[in-house]
Amino acid sequence: MSAPGRIGLIARNTFLEAVRQKFFNVLVVLSIAMIASANFFRQFDFGSSELKFIADFGMGAIFLFGSILSVVVTAQLFFSEIENRTALTMLAKPVYRWEFIVGKFLGVFIVLFAFVTLMLALLAAVLYWRESGLMNIHPEDFEDGRLVNYLGIVELAFSELLKFGVLAAITMLIASFSNTNLYTVVLSFFVMVICQLQYIARDNWSDLDNPLLRGLVWFLSLLFPNFQMFNVGEQLIFPTHDATLSTGGYLGIIAYGSIYICMLLGLSAYSFRNREI
Amino acid sequence: MSEPAIRIKDLTKDFRIGVRGVKLRAVDNLSLDIYDNQIFGLLGPNGCGKSTTMKIVLGLLEPTRGECSIYGVGSHSVKSRVNVGFLPEAPYFYKFLSGRELVRYYARICGVAKSEINDRTEEVLKLVSMENAAHRRVGTYSKGMLQRIGIAQALVHDPKLVVLDEPTAGVDPIGSHAIAELIVALKERGKTVMLCSHLLAQVEGVCDRVAIMSRGKLVLEGGVDELLEKEDERSLIVGDYNPEAQKEIEAVLEKYGAQLRKVEAPRISLDRLFLQHTDGSAIGSGQDVSDKEGKQ
Repeated sequence: MSAPGRIGLIARNTFLEAVRQKFFNVLVVLSIAMIASANFFRQFDFGSSELKFIADFGMGAIFLFGSILSVVVTAQLFFSEIENRTALTMLAKPVYRWEFIVGKFLGVFIVLFAFVTLMLALLAAVLYWRESGLMNIHPEDFEDGRLVNYLGIVELAFSELLKFGVLAAITMLIASFSNTNLYTVVLSFFVMVICQLQYIARDNWSDLDNPLLRGLVWFLSLLFPNFQMFNVGEQLIFPTHDATLSTGGYLGIIAYGSIYICMLLGLSAYSFRNREI
Repeated sequence: MSEPAIRIKDLTKDFRIGVRGVKLRAVDNLSLDIYDNQIFGLLGPNGCGKSTTMKIVLGLLEPTRGECSIYGVGSHSVKSRVNVGFLPEAPYFYKFLSGRELVRYYARICGVAKSEINDRTEEVLKLVSMENAAHRRVGTYSKGMLQRIGIAQALVHDPKLVVLDEPTAGVDPIGSHAIAELIVALKERGKTVMLCSHLLAQVEGVCDRVAIMSRGKLVLEGGVDELLEKEDERSLIVGDYNPEAQKEIEAVLEKYGAQLRKVEAPRISLDRLFLQHTDGSAIGSGQDVSDKEGKQ
């Protein structure tokens, strides 16, 4: 069997293991409940801005639960192989260690794909339903047609998926050298916060006088991916003349995420290469 | 001369156990050749380096010094594992898969052709007497059944070399006996078996050669018969024993300069007695009961 075949098998098995875990099901139910609950805020009668509220609320829920899913499922699925010694049986077969790492990651990536698709489909359904209702109540706000760009939600699915993919790859890298599941989860969330807030350092980079400090901040900004790059939900769902995302800009985000995933997986495979199991 | 199934040369493995560079030497300058179509027992007390040696042979650990090869291919190479089946100690498998799914999964990982997967899976399940429990989830298996499904996954790609780490640990005597018979059957099929165990009675019964390790070093190696036989002594088993006849036999032995050293009633082993009085065909498989029957 070829390397892609073995990777595919490991990914399929990892996905199967993930969906049979209660944790995943609970998280999906919670996320669905949270997005659906955005509807109940309509009693405040925000008018057409209610749609933005629902979209923000929904994307917030996806980010919160998607991040938890990316970190916890990656760490859990990796360490279940190590602690249950199934990795021992697997790596005693003609399987390269990098194939094992990539296969595990792809299994998690399929889980994330299922999660993001389900959540954004639900968000789109809620938005469509409320938008149709608001079109009857406030027709003057919809003279130019629907406000929500539903194609943009499809595009958002890929950028969100890549963001969670980068987070899963970070977790995989930490898991490849760490000894415990807990350490991996805590450190991964810590790195996630850095990635989420590193734009503050980027913004202040040009103001720094000390060249050494400037170099350090520049290096750190490259080391940790900038998660703000992926925050394009509003531009994609509610595009305006002032705030829209070009095709080039969108493809740039996809390339940015893909490059980080490839680099992080490469480092994970390197780190896992000589790990004693 | 053909390459040995396993060649270990000057193998040393140190584990770092402290922050100040303190190391534990698990394997110390071990050299060993295991030839084709042998059942080879690697013996020793817990912590003597058996499993570490086995892991290095399988490429799961990097040696500190020395070399290891399988049929001439270095253990560090993934290609060396194409012809190897491995059963780890106290194996855990994916609990969410059924026994049959598990064996099929490993068959595919090992590159068994799609057209042969079904036949190979059923063949090895039958070989380890698991065909009736193969539809059940692995999470419901007993220890003995886990060992046997573990052997099935190790054999599914028809490897030339089978490495078994404590294959009978935690298994009842019936299961142990079945596994021992299976190991002998593997040899008859032309396989080489490397067996790690500290159940010496069983090793004695199945192995052609043994090596004993202590504190990471090889202390003894050789054929089981040549190591255990006392060259100048023989035992005679006498039917219809008669004490008068014994006196005459002693006199004859004395005439030839030999002595009768011990007279005792031969005993069968407790294992044998257990096997004679239990149903060997019902090895740990339990019985499937429908919901309706269960409520009665």
